[in-house]
Amino acid sequence: METKPKIALFQCQWCLYSEPDQYWVDHNLPPSIRLMKVSCTGRINTLHILNAIQGGADGVMISGCRPEKCHFKEGNLSALRQHEEFLNLLDYIGYERDRVRFVWLDLQDRGRIQQELADFENKLQELSTANTLATRINAPEGEVHV
Amino acid sequence: MSELIAKLKSEIKRLFDEDVVDVVIAFKKADSPLRPQPAFYRKGDSLEDLEYNSLCQNNLANYLTRYPHETRIGIVVRGCESRSVNALVVEKQHPRENLFKIGIPCQGIVDLRKIVKQTGEDVSGYKEDQEKISVVFKNKEYQFDRKDVLHDSCLRCVHPNPVNPDVLLGDPLPEGDPGVLRQAVESFEALTKQERYTWFQQEAERCIRCYACREACPMCYCTECFVDHNPPRWTESTISPAGTQAWHIIRAFHQTGRCTSCGACERACPMDIKMTYLTDKLNEDMLNQYDFAPGMDDTTQPPFASFNLDDKNRFVA
Ligand code: SF4
Ligand code: SF4
Repeated sequence: METKPKIALFQCQWCLYSEPDQYWVDHNLPPSIRLMKVSCTGRINTLHILNAIQGGADGVMISGCRPEKCHFKEGNLSALRQHEEFLNLLDYIGYERDRVRFVWLDLQDRGRIQQELADFENKLQELSTANTLATRINAPEGEVHV
Repeated sequence: MSELIAKLKSEIKRLFDEDVVDVVIAFKKADSPLRPQPAFYRKGDSLEDLEYNSLCQNNLANYLTRYPHETRIGIVVRGCESRSVNALVVEKQHPRENLFKIGIPCQGIVDLRKIVKQTGEDVSGYKEDQEKISVVFKNKEYQFDRKDVLHDSCLRCVHPNPVNPDVLLGDPLPEGDPGVLRQAVESFEALTKQERYTWFQQEAERCIRCYACREACPMCYCTECFVDHNPPRWTESTISPAGTQAWHIIRAFHQTGRCTSCGACERACPMDIKMTYLTDKLNEDMLNQYDFAPGMDDTTQPPFASFNLDDKNRFVA
Protein backbone atom coordinates (compact mmCIF):
# COMPACT_ATOMS: atom_id res chain seq x y z
CA MET A 1 0.00 0.00 0.00
CA GLU A 2 1.26 3.40 -0.89
CA THR A 3 1.59 5.72 2.07
CA LYS A 4 1.09 9.41 1.66
CA PRO A 5 4.15 11.61 1.95
CA LYS A 6 4.40 13.39 5.26
CA ILE A 7 4.29 17.13 4.94
CA ALA A 8 5.16 19.76 7.51
CA LEU A 9 3.18 22.90 6.77
CA PHE A 10 4.39 26.14 8.28
CA GLN A 11 1.74 28.80 8.03
CA CYS A 12 2.13 32.42 8.93
CA GLN A 13 -0.82 33.24 11.18
CA TRP A 14 -1.42 36.52 9.39
CA CYS A 15 -1.56 34.87 6.00
CA LEU A 16 -4.87 36.06 4.69
CA TYR A 17 -6.58 32.86 3.70
CA SER A 18 -10.26 33.14 2.93
CA GLU A 19 -12.40 31.95 5.79
CA PRO A 20 -13.36 28.50 4.44
CA ASP A 21 -9.71 27.82 3.49
CA GLN A 22 -8.48 28.75 6.93
CA TYR A 23 -11.18 26.58 8.46
CA TRP A 24 -10.04 23.68 6.34
CA VAL A 25 -6.41 24.17 7.34
CA ASP A 26 -7.27 24.47 11.00
CA HIS A 27 -9.72 21.58 11.25
CA ASN A 28 -9.68 19.27 8.26
CA LEU A 29 -6.06 18.71 7.29
CA PRO A 30 -5.38 15.07 6.40
CA PRO A 31 -3.28 13.24 9.03
CA SER A 32 -0.26 13.18 6.71
CA ILE A 33 0.01 16.96 6.94
CA ARG A 34 1.09 18.57 10.16
CA LEU A 35 0.41 22.25 10.73
CA MET A 36 2.77 24.62 12.53
CA LYS A 37 1.43 28.14 12.88
CA VAL A 38 4.06 30.80 13.24
CA SER A 39 3.81 34.50 13.92
CA CYS A 40 5.46 35.40 10.59
CA THR A 41 7.54 33.60 7.96
CA GLY A 42 10.39 35.74 9.29
CA ARG A 43 10.02 33.82 12.55
CA ILE A 44 10.88 30.54 10.84
CA ASN A 45 14.44 29.63 11.52
CA THR A 46 16.24 27.44 9.03
CA LEU A 47 16.59 25.08 11.98
CA HIS A 48 12.81 24.62 11.99
CA ILE A 49 13.02 23.45 8.39
CA LEU A 50 15.95 21.17 9.09
CA ASN A 51 14.22 19.81 12.18
CA ALA A 52 11.13 18.96 10.17
CA ILE A 53 13.28 17.16 7.59
CA GLN A 54 15.32 15.32 10.19
CA GLY A 55 12.17 14.59 12.14
CA GLY A 56 10.99 12.53 9.20
CA ALA A 57 8.94 14.91 7.03
CA ASP A 58 9.10 14.05 3.34
CA GLY A 59 8.43 17.62 2.43
CA VAL A 60 8.17 21.05 4.00
CA MET A 61 5.77 23.71 2.79
CA ILE A 62 6.00 27.28 3.96
CA SER A 63 3.07 29.53 3.34
CA GLY A 64 3.55 33.24 3.79
CA CYS A 65 2.22 36.59 2.72
CA ARG A 66 2.98 38.29 -0.56
CA PRO A 67 5.56 41.10 -0.54
CA GLU A 68 4.14 44.37 0.81
CA LYS A 69 1.42 42.38 2.57
CA CYS A 70 3.52 41.25 5.52
CA HIS A 71 1.96 42.03 8.90
CA PHE A 72 5.40 42.99 10.16
CA LYS A 73 6.24 44.83 6.93
CA GLU A 74 9.38 42.94 6.00
CA GLY A 75 9.44 39.61 7.82
CA ASN A 76 8.75 37.77 4.59
CA LEU A 77 11.57 39.61 2.81
CA SER A 78 14.06 38.48 5.41
CA ALA A 79 12.66 34.96 5.26
CA LEU A 80 12.98 34.80 1.50
CA ARG A 81 16.68 35.70 1.42
CA GLN A 82 17.60 33.21 4.10
CA HIS A 83 15.44 30.31 3.06
CA GLU A 84 16.34 30.52 -0.60
CA GLU A 85 19.99 30.38 0.29
CA PHE A 86 19.37 27.56 2.73
CA LEU A 87 17.85 25.57 -0.11
CA ASN A 88 20.88 26.34 -2.27
CA LEU A 89 23.05 24.88 0.47
CA LEU A 90 20.89 21.77 0.88
CA ASP A 91 20.92 21.29 -2.86
CA TYR A 92 24.70 21.68 -2.88
CA ILE A 93 25.14 18.82 -0.41
CA GLY A 94 22.88 16.61 -2.49
CA TYR A 95 19.48 17.01 -0.84
CA GLU A 96 16.49 17.27 -3.17
CA ARG A 97 15.57 20.95 -2.93
CA ASP A 98 12.12 20.34 -4.37
CA ARG A 99 11.23 18.81 -1.04
CA VAL A 100 10.90 22.29 0.38
CA ARG A 101 8.42 24.63 -1.22
CA PHE A 102 7.25 28.16 -0.61
CA VAL A 103 3.82 29.52 -1.40
CA TRP A 104 3.04 33.17 -1.04
CA LEU A 105 -0.68 33.63 -0.70
CA ASP A 106 -3.22 36.37 -0.67
CA LEU A 107 -6.88 36.69 0.29
CA GLN A 108 -7.84 36.43 -3.36
CA ASP A 109 -6.25 33.02 -3.68
CA ARG A 110 -9.36 31.09 -2.70
CA GLY A 111 -8.94 27.33 -2.69
CA ARG A 112 -5.31 27.68 -3.58
CA ILE A 113 -3.77 26.16 -0.45
CA GLN A 114 -5.60 22.86 -1.02
CA GLN A 115 -4.41 22.86 -4.61
CA GLU A 116 -0.83 23.65 -3.64
CA LEU A 117 -0.74 20.88 -1.05
CA ALA A 118 -2.13 18.34 -3.51
CA ASP A 119 0.44 19.36 -6.13
CA PHE A 120 3.21 19.14 -3.60
CA GLU A 121 2.06 15.71 -2.50
CA ASN A 122 2.21 14.47 -6.08
CA LYS A 123 5.63 16.01 -6.58
CA LEU A 124 6.97 14.35 -3.42
CA GLN A 125 5.77 10.98 -4.62
CA GLU A 126 7.80 11.38 -7.79
CA LEU A 127 11.05 12.28 -6.05
CA SER A 128 13.62 9.69 -5.21
CA THR A 129 14.06 8.94 -1.55
CA ALA A 130 17.87 8.87 -1.69
CA ASN A 131 19.91 11.51 0.13
CA THR A 132 17.12 12.59 2.42
CA LEU A 133 19.46 13.44 5.31
CA ALA A 134 19.79 11.38 8.47
CA THR A 135 16.67 11.39 10.63
CA ARG A 136 16.85 11.96 14.33
CA ILE A 137 15.67 9.49 16.91
CA ASN A 138 12.13 10.53 17.72
CA ALA A 139 11.27 11.53 21.22
CA PRO A 140 8.46 9.47 22.77
CA GLU A 141 5.04 11.09 22.44
CA GLY A 142 4.68 13.97 24.88
CA GLU A 143 8.38 14.19 25.69
CA VAL A 144 11.01 16.56 24.45
CA HIS A 145 14.31 15.99 22.73
CA VAL A 146 17.35 15.91 24.93
CA MET B 1 61.22 37.44 8.71
CA SER B 2 63.49 38.76 11.45
CA GLU B 3 63.38 42.15 9.76
CA LEU B 4 59.59 42.08 9.80
CA ILE B 5 59.52 41.00 13.43
CA ALA B 6 61.82 43.87 14.34
CA LYS B 7 59.48 46.31 12.57
CA LEU B 8 56.53 44.76 14.32
CA LYS B 9 58.18 45.11 17.72
CA SER B 10 59.05 48.74 17.21
CA GLU B 11 55.52 49.50 15.98
CA ILE B 12 53.99 47.83 19.02
CA LYS B 13 56.42 49.67 21.28
CA ARG B 14 55.40 52.95 19.64
CA LEU B 15 51.71 52.18 20.15
CA PHE B 16 52.25 51.68 23.86
CA ASP B 17 54.61 54.64 24.23
CA GLU B 18 52.22 57.00 22.50
CA ASP B 19 49.32 55.50 24.44
CA VAL B 20 47.38 54.53 21.34
CA VAL B 21 46.26 51.12 22.59
CA ASP B 22 45.71 49.21 25.84
CA VAL B 23 46.47 45.75 24.55
CA VAL B 24 48.06 44.24 21.45
CA ILE B 25 46.95 40.88 20.09
CA ALA B 26 49.78 39.13 18.26
CA PHE B 27 51.67 35.83 18.25
CA LYS B 28 54.43 34.59 20.53
CA LYS B 29 56.92 31.74 20.47
CA ALA B 30 55.82 28.55 22.18
CA ASP B 31 57.45 25.29 23.26
CA SER B 32 57.36 23.80 19.79
CA PRO B 33 58.67 25.97 16.97
CA LEU B 34 55.79 24.61 14.90
CA ARG B 35 53.13 26.12 17.08
CA PRO B 36 53.34 29.84 17.80
CA GLN B 37 50.53 30.85 20.13
CA PRO B 38 48.29 33.93 20.35
CA ALA B 39 49.74 36.54 22.69
CA PHE B 40 48.17 39.48 24.50
CA TYR B 41 50.66 42.20 25.31
CA ARG B 42 50.05 45.05 27.72
CA LYS B 43 52.15 48.14 28.25
CA GLY B 44 55.43 47.23 29.93
CA ASP B 45 55.37 43.57 28.85
CA SER B 46 58.54 42.27 27.27
CA LEU B 47 58.17 41.74 23.53
CA GLU B 48 61.10 39.33 23.55
CA ASP B 49 59.01 36.27 22.68
CA LEU B 50 56.96 37.97 19.93
CA GLU B 51 56.72 35.79 16.85
CA TYR B 52 55.42 36.09 13.34
CA ASN B 53 55.76 33.52 10.56
CA SER B 54 53.67 31.33 8.32
CA LEU B 55 53.03 28.86 11.11
CA CYS B 56 50.74 31.25 12.97
CA GLN B 57 47.53 29.26 12.60
CA ASN B 58 44.91 31.20 14.52
CA ASN B 59 42.69 33.92 13.21
CA LEU B 60 43.48 36.61 15.79
CA ALA B 61 40.22 38.46 15.12
CA ASN B 62 38.70 35.67 17.20
CA TYR B 63 39.89 37.41 20.37
CA LEU B 64 38.37 40.84 19.66
CA THR B 65 35.02 39.89 21.07
CA ARG B 66 36.56 38.98 24.43
CA TYR B 67 37.29 42.59 25.32
CA PRO B 68 34.91 45.33 26.47
CA HIS B 69 34.15 47.92 23.79
CA GLU B 70 36.16 50.57 25.66
CA THR B 71 39.42 48.60 25.41
CA ARG B 72 41.66 50.06 22.74
CA ILE B 73 42.96 47.03 20.90
CA GLY B 74 45.96 46.82 18.63
CA ILE B 75 45.81 43.71 16.49
CA VAL B 76 48.17 42.11 14.02
CA VAL B 77 46.13 41.33 10.92
CA ARG B 78 46.84 39.43 7.75
CA GLY B 79 44.41 39.56 4.80
CA CYS B 80 41.70 37.31 6.17
CA GLU B 81 42.03 38.62 9.71
CA SER B 82 41.60 42.21 8.58
CA ARG B 83 38.39 41.18 6.84
CA SER B 84 37.19 39.29 9.89
CA VAL B 85 37.84 42.41 11.98
CA ASN B 86 35.82 44.47 9.49
CA ALA B 87 32.95 41.99 9.57
CA LEU B 88 32.99 42.15 13.38
CA VAL B 89 32.95 45.95 13.28
CA VAL B 90 29.92 45.83 10.96
CA GLU B 91 28.24 43.53 13.48
CA LYS B 92 29.04 46.05 16.23
CA GLN B 93 31.31 43.70 18.15
CA HIS B 94 33.94 46.39 18.66
CA PRO B 95 33.96 50.07 17.72
CA ARG B 96 36.32 50.87 14.86
CA GLU B 97 37.79 53.87 16.69
CA ASN B 98 39.04 51.58 19.45
CA LEU B 99 40.92 49.38 17.03
CA PHE B 100 44.37 49.76 15.58
CA LYS B 101 45.08 47.29 12.80
CA ILE B 102 48.71 46.44 12.21
CA GLY B 103 48.56 44.95 8.74
CA ILE B 104 50.94 42.40 7.26
CA PRO B 105 50.53 41.18 3.67
CA CYS B 106 50.22 37.42 4.02
CA GLN B 107 52.07 34.79 2.04
CA GLY B 108 49.76 32.10 3.30
CA ILE B 109 49.58 29.91 6.37
CA VAL B 110 51.50 26.66 6.34
CA ASP B 111 49.39 23.59 7.02
CA LEU B 112 51.10 21.76 9.88
CA ARG B 113 49.57 18.48 8.85
CA LYS B 114 51.24 18.60 5.48
CA ILE B 115 54.63 18.99 7.16
CA VAL B 116 54.20 16.63 10.07
CA LYS B 117 53.00 13.89 7.74
CA GLN B 118 56.47 13.84 6.20
CA THR B 119 58.62 14.60 9.20
CA GLY B 120 57.14 13.94 12.63
CA GLU B 121 55.65 15.95 15.50
CA ASP B 122 58.84 16.73 17.40
CA VAL B 123 60.27 19.37 15.15
CA SER B 124 63.19 21.24 16.68
CA GLY B 125 63.86 23.98 14.16
CA TYR B 126 62.03 26.04 11.56
CA LYS B 127 63.09 28.52 8.88
CA GLU B 128 61.26 30.11 5.99
CA ASP B 129 61.78 32.49 3.11
CA GLN B 130 59.65 33.56 0.15
CA GLU B 131 59.75 30.19 -1.60
CA LYS B 132 61.11 27.59 0.81
CA ILE B 133 60.10 26.23 4.17
CA SER B 134 62.64 24.20 6.08
CA VAL B 135 62.20 22.26 9.29
CA VAL B 136 64.61 20.28 11.42
CA PHE B 137 63.47 16.93 12.75
CA LYS B 138 65.84 14.63 14.65
CA ASN B 139 68.84 16.62 13.40
CA LYS B 140 67.79 16.20 9.80
CA GLU B 141 66.72 19.15 7.70
CA TYR B 142 63.65 18.83 5.49
CA GLN B 143 62.94 21.36 2.72
CA PHE B 144 59.54 22.11 1.25
CA ASP B 145 58.28 24.39 -1.47
CA ARG B 146 55.98 26.91 0.17
CA LYS B 147 53.14 26.22 -2.24
CA ASP B 148 53.24 22.48 -1.46
CA VAL B 149 52.61 22.96 2.23
CA LEU B 150 50.25 25.94 2.32
CA HIS B 151 46.83 25.41 3.82
CA ASP B 152 44.13 24.79 1.17
CA SER B 153 42.24 27.97 2.10
CA CYS B 154 45.41 29.97 1.58
CA LEU B 155 46.04 28.42 -1.82
CA ARG B 156 42.62 29.78 -2.77
CA CYS B 157 43.09 33.18 -1.11
CA VAL B 158 41.97 36.17 -3.18
CA HIS B 159 42.86 39.04 -0.84
CA PRO B 160 46.20 38.40 0.89
CA ASN B 161 46.63 42.10 1.67
CA PRO B 162 45.02 43.56 4.77
CA VAL B 163 41.94 45.67 4.01
CA ASN B 164 42.09 49.21 5.49
CA PRO B 165 44.91 48.63 8.01
CA ASP B 166 46.06 51.56 10.16
CA VAL B 167 49.64 50.75 9.34
CA LEU B 168 51.05 48.32 6.81
CA LEU B 169 54.32 46.49 7.50
CA GLY B 170 55.90 44.86 4.46
CA ASP B 171 55.20 45.26 0.76
CA PRO B 172 51.74 44.59 -0.69
CA LEU B 173 51.39 41.33 -2.61
CA PRO B 174 49.54 40.75 -5.88
CA GLU B 175 45.87 39.88 -5.38
CA GLY B 176 44.87 36.24 -5.85
CA ASP B 177 42.88 34.83 -8.71
CA PRO B 178 39.11 34.52 -8.01
CA GLY B 179 39.04 31.67 -10.55
CA VAL B 180 41.13 29.56 -8.19
CA LEU B 181 38.71 30.21 -5.34
CA ARG B 182 35.95 29.04 -7.66
CA GLN B 183 37.70 25.76 -8.51
CA ALA B 184 36.96 24.00 -5.23
CA VAL B 185 33.25 24.79 -5.37
CA GLU B 186 33.14 24.08 -9.08
CA SER B 187 34.63 20.63 -8.79
CA PHE B 188 32.23 19.77 -5.98
CA GLU B 189 29.27 20.99 -7.99
CA ALA B 190 30.39 18.86 -10.92
CA LEU B 191 29.70 15.70 -8.90
CA THR B 192 26.30 14.01 -9.06
CA LYS B 193 23.77 14.58 -6.30
CA GLN B 194 24.52 11.15 -4.90
CA GLU B 195 28.26 11.73 -4.84
CA ARG B 196 27.85 15.11 -3.21
CA TYR B 197 25.66 13.69 -0.49
CA THR B 198 28.03 10.80 0.13
CA TRP B 199 30.95 13.18 0.45
CA PHE B 200 29.04 15.46 2.79
CA GLN B 201 27.90 12.50 4.84
CA GLN B 202 31.39 11.06 5.14
CA GLU B 203 32.88 14.36 6.24
CA ALA B 204 30.09 15.40 8.61
CA GLU B 205 29.64 12.04 10.27
CA ARG B 206 33.27 11.75 11.33
CA CYS B 207 32.72 14.76 13.56
CA ILE B 208 33.26 14.21 17.28
CA ARG B 209 31.42 17.41 18.27
CA CYS B 210 34.40 18.97 20.00
CA TYR B 211 33.46 22.40 18.57
CA ALA B 212 37.07 23.38 17.98
CA CYS B 213 35.95 24.76 14.61
CA ARG B 214 33.50 27.03 16.36
CA GLU B 215 35.99 28.17 18.98
CA ALA B 216 38.56 28.99 16.30
CA CYS B 217 36.17 31.05 14.20
CA PRO B 218 36.04 34.80 14.78
CA MET B 219 32.48 34.95 13.52
CA CYS B 220 31.22 32.29 15.95
CA TYR B 221 30.95 34.58 18.94
CA CYS B 222 27.44 33.80 20.24
CA THR B 223 27.55 33.23 23.97
CA GLU B 224 25.03 30.45 23.56
CA CYS B 225 25.32 28.37 20.42
CA PHE B 226 22.28 26.59 19.00
CA VAL B 227 23.90 23.26 19.83
CA ASP B 228 24.28 24.19 23.49
CA HIS B 229 20.61 24.85 24.13
CA ASN B 230 18.99 22.97 26.96
CA PRO B 231 15.96 20.84 26.14
CA PRO B 232 14.05 21.14 23.93
CA ARG B 233 17.08 21.00 21.71
CA TRP B 234 17.36 22.29 18.19
CA THR B 235 19.44 19.32 17.13
CA GLU B 236 20.76 16.12 18.56
CA SER B 237 23.88 16.97 20.46
CA THR B 238 25.40 13.53 20.24
CA ILE B 239 27.56 12.18 17.45
CA SER B 240 24.54 10.57 15.79
CA PRO B 241 24.40 11.02 12.01
CA ALA B 242 21.47 13.42 12.33
CA GLY B 243 23.28 15.46 14.95
CA THR B 244 26.56 15.78 13.10
CA GLN B 245 24.85 16.55 9.80
CA ALA B 246 22.75 19.24 11.41
CA TRP B 247 25.82 20.75 13.07
CA HIS B 248 27.71 20.94 9.80
CA ILE B 249 24.79 22.34 7.81
CA ILE B 250 23.82 24.99 10.32
CA ARG B 251 27.32 25.97 11.41
CA ALA B 252 28.13 26.71 7.79
CA PHE B 253 24.80 28.39 7.12
CA HIS B 254 25.24 30.78 10.04
CA GLN B 255 28.40 31.97 8.29
CA THR B 256 26.59 33.07 5.13
CA GLY B 257 27.90 36.45 4.09
CA ARG B 258 30.13 36.56 7.18
CA CYS B 259 32.86 33.97 6.67
CA THR B 260 36.12 35.40 5.39
CA SER B 261 37.51 32.05 4.20
CA CYS B 262 40.41 32.11 6.64
CA GLY B 263 40.30 28.34 7.08
CA ALA B 264 40.87 28.52 10.85
CA CYS B 265 37.99 26.09 11.35
CA GLU B 266 39.59 23.41 9.20
CA ARG B 267 43.00 23.94 10.76
CA ALA B 268 41.50 23.55 14.24
CA CYS B 269 39.61 20.35 13.49
CA PRO B 270 41.27 17.34 15.15
CA MET B 271 39.49 15.03 12.71
CA ASP B 272 40.77 16.87 9.63
CA ILE B 273 37.20 17.34 8.42
CA LYS B 274 36.71 19.52 5.37
CA MET B 275 34.19 22.31 5.83
CA THR B 276 35.30 25.32 3.83
CA TYR B 277 33.69 23.81 0.72
CA LEU B 278 30.39 24.70 2.39
CA THR B 279 31.21 28.24 3.44
CA ASP B 280 32.97 28.99 0.15
CA LYS B 281 29.81 28.03 -1.71
CA LEU B 282 27.67 30.28 0.47
CA ASN B 283 30.10 33.14 -0.03
CA GLU B 284 30.09 32.63 -3.74
CA ASP B 285 26.29 32.81 -3.80
CA MET B 286 26.39 36.04 -1.80
CA LEU B 287 28.82 37.50 -4.30
CA ASN B 288 26.79 36.43 -7.32
CA GLN B 289 23.39 37.37 -5.97
CA TYR B 290 24.11 40.45 -3.92
CA ASP B 291 27.57 41.49 -5.06
CA PHE B 292 28.73 41.18 -1.48
CA ALA B 293 32.02 39.91 -0.10
CA PRO B 294 32.45 39.79 3.69
CA GLY B 295 34.81 42.22 5.35
CA MET B 296 35.78 44.30 2.33
CA ASP B 297 34.82 47.42 4.27
CA ASP B 298 33.64 48.13 7.79
CA THR B 299 30.19 49.56 7.07
CA THR B 300 28.26 47.40 4.57
CA GLN B 301 25.70 45.09 6.15
CA PRO B 302 25.72 41.46 4.95
CA PRO B 303 22.84 40.40 2.65
CA PHE B 304 20.79 38.64 5.32
CA ALA B 305 20.69 41.85 7.31
CA SER B 306 19.96 44.17 4.40
CA PHE B 307 16.88 42.70 2.70
CA ASN B 308 14.49 45.22 1.17
CA LEU B 309 11.51 45.57 -1.13
CA ASP B 310 13.71 45.35 -4.22
CA ASP B 311 13.47 41.62 -3.61
CA LYS B 312 9.75 41.58 -4.28
CA ASN B 313 10.05 40.25 -7.81
CA ARG B 314 11.70 37.16 -6.49
CA PHE B 315 8.52 35.95 -4.80
CA VAL B 316 7.45 33.27 -7.22
CA ALA B 317 4.23 31.25 -7.02
S1 SF4 C 1 33.89 29.57 9.07
FE1 SF4 C 1 36.06 28.92 9.02
S2 SF4 C 1 36.90 29.98 7.22
FE2 SF4 C 1 34.99 31.03 7.73
S3 SF4 C 1 35.57 32.74 9.09
FE3 SF4 C 1 35.05 30.97 10.41
S4 SF4 C 1 37.01 29.95 10.79
FE4 SF4 C 1 37.32 31.31 9.01
S1 SF4 D 1 36.44 20.80 14.92
FE1 SF4 D 1 35.98 19.03 13.59
S2 SF4 D 1 35.44 17.34 14.98
FE2 SF4 D 1 35.36 19.24 16.17
S3 SF4 D 1 33.20 19.88 16.04
FE3 SF4 D 1 34.29 20.94 14.36
S4 SF4 D 1 34.06 19.57 12.60
FE4 SF4 D 1 33.54 18.36 14.41
